[in-house]
Amino acid sequence: MEVKSNENESFRLVYEEVFPVVMRVAYHVTYNMDVSEDICQEAFIRFFERDIEFKSVDEAKYWLIRVTKNLAINVVKRKSREKAMVDKIKKAPKVPIRSGEEVLISSETKTLVREAVEKLPEKLKSVLVLKEYADLNYKQIAKILRISESNVKVRVHRARKMLESMLDREEIDVS
Amino acid sequence: MCLDDQILNTYLDGELVEPWRTQVEEHLTYCNACKSRFEQLQSLHYLVSSSRLEDQEIEDHSKKVYQFIENNYISKKKRGFFSRDFRIKTPTLLAVAAAFIVIFVGALLINPKGAAQTDQLIPRVNVAEEGRVVQVKATDGLTVAQILDNFSLEEILKYLDSRGYEVDLRLKGLIPIDSVDNLL
Repeated sequence: MEVKSNENESFRLVYEEVFPVVMRVAYHVTYNMDVSEDICQEAFIRFFERDIEFKSVDEAKYWLIRVTKNLAINVVKRKSREKAMVDKIKKAPKVPIRSGEEVLISSETKTLVREAVEKLPEKLKSVLVLKEYADLNYKQIAKILRISESNVKVRVHRARKMLESMLDREEIDVS
Repeated sequence: MCLDDQILNTYLDGELVEPWRTQVEEHLTYCNACKSRFEQLQSLHYLVSSSRLEDQEIEDHSKKVYQFIENNYISKKKRGFFSRDFRIKTPTLLAVAAAFIVIFVGALLINPKGAAQTDQLIPRVNVAEEGRVVQVKATDGLTVAQILDNFSLEEILKYLDSRGYEVDLRLKGLIPIDSVDNLL
């Protein structure tokens, strides 16, 4: 189904489906709700005003995710430049979880994981956020970030490796 | 260690293609070390993924942003030609149709190939001092060439004749039919 970005009906359709995804992407890059809201608003305004035709809702979604991710990364870059002077070094949080078991994670654990994701370098963070929070496959991520699929594969692996060491390997091990 | 983390991660994401997928699957059934490492990676994935922003945390923001865009952009958008209501009364419509017909018929009555075009046949003619050599200058090249194409040689000659030019026509590069036959 073709999608015209400034046609009220298609806009509504895309908005309903894509807003939660881009909000998640923006949030897990910036970890700030207000900033994320502004970013998503900006992305959808651009989408509406550009008057672009997409082959499918998915194509529109990829476009929106790409714009959102770029806006979010820019915010983070600006923020980190501003914060560079007051560099606060947090101790790597420890997250105890038992392997192979699907336990409901506590809000503290959530916070720790989010802090770890926040610390990932930009390239790994983008890929990981799209993988874990936007529920996209390697091919889709490759398309959005304009990198190769094997590059996505490597970055997913490196991001997880880094997260694991940040979340303290000892604690994640089987108890 | 038999399987590295990257392969396990790819397998975990459901992105490992055959035949490796089946091989990894089999390997995990008997290799405890790999199985336990796989479970660790699975837990990590679960842990990270479930730290996501929840749908209910997004809902209010979604409504707020939509409201903003609707008020400031969607409702302000000029209504498109086709989505507009056409409420023209029938007599008006008939009058418009009649006007169109008059315009069309009128256009057909006027002969397009009139004198106006012939005047443009040769826009500028320079006569040299001796009064013999006539130089025809096509000032706006393409346009003239296109116009000239619309006339047959006969018409051009007739026109020039009417203007009082003496025209000398010569054919060049002609080969007699006999010699063509010889060539073949």
